[in-house]
Amino acid sequence: MERRAWWVSWGRGWALFGFLVLIAPLSAARAQIKIDVPEPGGAGLPIALSPLKGLDGEGERRLGEEFAEVIARDLDLSGLFKPIERGAYIEGPAGLSIEEINFQNWSVIGALALVKGGFSLEGNDLTVEVRLFDVAQRKQLGGKRYRGERQDLRRMAHRFADQIMFFLTGEQGPFSSKIAFVSNRGGGRVKEIYVTDLTGSEVTQVTKDRTLSLGPSWNPAATMLTFFSYKQGGPYPYRINLFGGQESRLSPVVGYSSRWSPDGSMIAVSLEQQGNSDLFLLSPEGRLLRRLTENPEIDISPAWSPNGQEIAFCSSRSGGPQIYMINVNSGNVRRLTFRGDYNTSPSWSPKGDLIAYTSRAGGFRIMTIPATGGDPLEVTAGEDPSWSPDGRYLAFSYRGRLRIASKDGRSVKQLTAGRGDDTSPAWSARLE
Amino acid sequence: MILVRRGRRVWNNVAQRKERQGIMRSTTVWRWWLGGALLIAFTLSGCPKKTPPPSETGPGGGSGSEIGERALPSPEDVSGGRIRGNIPEGGPLQDVRFAYDSFELSSEARETLRANASWLHSNTQAKVEVEGHCDDRGTVEYNLALGAKRAKAARDYLLTLGITDERLSTISYGEELPLCKEADESCWQQNRRAHFLVLNQDLRR
Repeated sequence: MERRAWWVSWGRGWALFGFLVLIAPLSAARAQIKIDVPEPGGAGLPIALSPLKGLDGEGERRLGEEFAEVIARDLDLSGLFKPIERGAYIEGPAGLSIEEINFQNWSVIGALALVKGGFSLEGNDLTVEVRLFDVAQRKQLGGKRYRGERQDLRRMAHRFADQIMFFLTGEQGPFSSKIAFVSNRGGGRVKEIYVTDLTGSEVTQVTKDRTLSLGPSWNPAATMLTFFSYKQGGPYPYRINLFGGQESRLSPVVGYSSRWSPDGSMIAVSLEQQGNSDLFLLSPEGRLLRRLTENPEIDISPAWSPNGQEIAFCSSRSGGPQIYMINVNSGNVRRLTFRGDYNTSPSWSPKGDLIAYTSRAGGFRIMTIPATGGDPLEVTAGEDPSWSPDGRYLAFSYRGRLRIASKDGRSVKQLTAGRGDDTSPAWSARLE
Repeated sequence: MILVRRGRRVWNNVAQRKERQGIMRSTTVWRWWLGGALLIAFTLSGCPKKTPPPSETGPGGGSGSEIGERALPSPEDVSGGRIRGNIPEGGPLQDVRFAYDSFELSSEARETLRANASWLHSNTQAKVEVEGHCDDRGTVEYNLALGAKRAKAARDYLLTLGITDERLSTISYGEELPLCKEADESCWQQNRRAHFLVLNQDLRR
C-alpha cells in the first residue's frame, strides 16, 4: 500500500508540486544573514520548528506537526543544527509575520533561528507557506510556498529543509532525496531492496522476490534502480522503474555491481565470465556498448566521476583490492590508493574532488582521498559509502545500520534502526 | 481507501503484464548480447595490442569474450531456489576452505576435492553447482567477485580430475549465506568456502 502511495504521489503529484514561489528575494535574504552556522559535529545551531498553523481552522493539526517533525529530523541529521524540542515552545503555531511573532518567546528558549508557517487543505489540495526567521535580528531570512496534494507534505518538508540549509549556508541541503538499500528485515535468508526518505521512517519495499536482491543503484533522475537478483539464478542485473513497477533483466550474464553514468546514458556494470569480474558499459536497456577492462583479476564496483569522463573502481590486479581510475575514452588506468592492503567500494563525490571508499585497517573504515591522488583521510567506521547529492555527507552501513556522516566525520547520525541488517546504501539525486 | 485498494489490484495486473513483457524483452536483449559478443570477438581478433594477458586461473581458465554465450538457467534452477526453497547446507560432498581474501587451493583443499571427485566418478548422473562463499569481513560486491573466483578455482580442479564440464556449474553468494555468524576466526574459516550443491534431489540425501 505504501508502495503505491509513494509511486502515485511521485508520478502524479509532481506536476503540481513543481510550482514554487520565493517569497523573499534571495539576494535580500542572503544579505540579511547574521547567523553563523557552526561546523558539523559542534553544538549545532539552535532552531525552533513551530508546527504549521492550519489556515482553515484546527481540523488537520497533525499535518502541521508532521511538517515540523520531518524538518527537525532532517536538520538534526545535517549535524549543523540542534532542533529545540516542541515541548519547550511558549508561542503557538499562530503568527506568521514579523509583526505577529513575539521573538522574545523564542529567544528565551534559546532559539537563534525559527521556522513558522501555515497550510491549507482544500479537498486533497495542499498549500504550505513557510518562513525562516533570524530570532535575534527579528528578520525573515527566506520563505517558500509549496502546492501539491496531501501526500506531498513530507516532500515539501524535505524541500524546505534543503532551503533552510541554502538560506543559512548558501548551498542547498540533501534532504529531498531518497536512499535505496538492502535489508533482510523481512526475515530468513531473504534480502530485498528498500527505499527510505531521509528521516529513515518512510520506508518502501521495492523488490518482493523472496530471494537475494543486492546492490541497488539509482539512475540520475531517481526514477529507476538497477540491482542484482538471484531470482533466476545468477545473480543477474535488473532494472526496475519506480513509477510503474516495470522490470526487465539487463543481461543474461552474471554480475555483481552497477552504477549509472551521470547523464543517464550508460550503466557501468561488472559482469562475470569464467569466474572473473570485468567492467562493461551497457545502455539503459541492457545493450552491450563497450568493454572497459580486461584483466585476469577482479575489477568491480565502478563509480563515475561527475563529468562522466572517468570511472573509479576496485581491482585486485596488484594483489589485494585497491582503488583505480580508468579514463572512459582512452582506457588508461591509474592506481589511486596505496595505503593499506584492502581498499574497496569507491564512491565519487558529486563535487568531483573526493573519492570515498572502504578500507580495512583493524575494522572497516570509510576513507576519502582526493581524486587527483594524495593522502587518504579517515571519516569514520563503516562500509560501502555513498555521497549525498550536495557532496557534504556520506551514507554508509555500520553493523547492520545505515548511518550518515558529514564528510569530515565530525557528525555521525544513525538513519535506520529496527529488525534485520541494513546495508549497501545508494543515495539518490535530489528529487526536483 | 477503497479506491486505493482497487487501484492497487489494477496496478498488480499491469505489473504482471509488464513483467511478462520484460521477460520477452530480455530475450531480445539476449540476441543483442550475442551480437555484441561477436562484435567484441572480431574487434579483439583484429587488434593485437588488446590481446588479454594470459589467464592465471588454471585449467579451463579462459580469456574470453564469451559474454552472452552462457545458457539461461531454467526457472526451476536451484540457484535462486537455494534461498527460496531453503535448501540446507550439507549433502554428500565436502566443503573446501580458503584463506582470507584468497582463492588459492591449499593441499588440504585439493585432498577434499579429490574425495569429491571420486564421489562424482561413482555417481555419474550427478550434477553439481559449485558455490563460492566468503566471510563477512569485506564489502559485499568485492566478496561476490571473490566468491566467484573461489567457485571457479574449485571447479577447475575438479575438471583436471576428469569431471566433465557440463556437470559443474558455478555461482557466487559472496558473504550472503554464512554458515555461522560469530565474529571469530573459526567461524570466518567455515564461511570462506566452496560448497557443492548436488542438483539431483535424489542424490542430495
